[in-house]
Amino acid sequence: MKRIEVKLSLPVVAPLLDVIKNTADNLGDRLATPITLDDVDAAFRGEWREELLAEQTAEINTLLALFDSEFFATGVVGFDESNAIVIVRACSAVRLRLRERYLTKLPDEILEGGDVELSVLDDEVRKAFMCYLFLATVQELIIQHLDSAILDS
Amino acid sequence: MTIVDTGTAPQIAPRKETVPAVQPEGLWRVVVLNDPVNLMSYVVLVFRKVLGFDEPTARKHMLEVHEAGRSVVWTGLREQAEHYAFTLQQWHLSAILEPQDETH
Repeated sequence: MKRIEVKLSLPVVAPLLDVIKNTADNLGDRLATPITLDDVDAAFRGEWREELLAEQTAEINTLLALFDSEFFATGVVGFDESNAIVIVRACSAVRLRLRERYLTKLPDEILEGGDVELSVLDDEVRKAFMCYLFLATVQELIIQHLDSAILDS
Repeated sequence: MTIVDTGTAPQIAPRKETVPAVQPEGLWRVVVLNDPVNLMSYVVLVFRKVLGFDEPTARKHMLEVHEAGRSVVWTGLREQAEHYAFTLQQWHLSAILEPQDETH
């Protein structure tokens, strides 16, 4: 995968970062996906969950690290082989939490279609939805640029 | 309950406390459940990367998840099924294990 550098609009993205950071922090020690581990042997359930949680935390830290002082100076974020997969996964985790925390009133079909009338949403929900779309855009961008070498690794 | 023959009157031995355990025998399914959040392109990527599906197969299973709410993406022995379920969960998909004999 070639390195991708994307210049983002600071005035647009910067206000979203607080929501993304708060949502990531809010995940805390819970898994983004509300999975049931009932079918996992009771003896391994704790270890299974802890390992998922450790990976999730590491992914989110990598995502948040994209928006460092250099980003605020240049507006540029970069993706390459070393971080692409981790960031795609972190975006998924934060989007799942955004949905759970702010977007529960939006029906699934509306959320899946992205056909949301922004003007009817209150400020908090609208900002969360913008974050939700922004992270989806990051995912799409990376997925489009993944090559077969990464898929096979 | 276990009956112990002591040579005199039968006595009832106390039953040992057992912890419910998953029966690992037989075939297990790895089932991915729908969620309204993950992008279709993301789910296709995960299926390709984790399960080694080619693009059409990955897309077929993704659509099945989307339209039917679930898709059986792998069937086999318990240990390998656990591996796939765990890896799919690392990708934040709702993956569960089911014994093959459950009907859906």
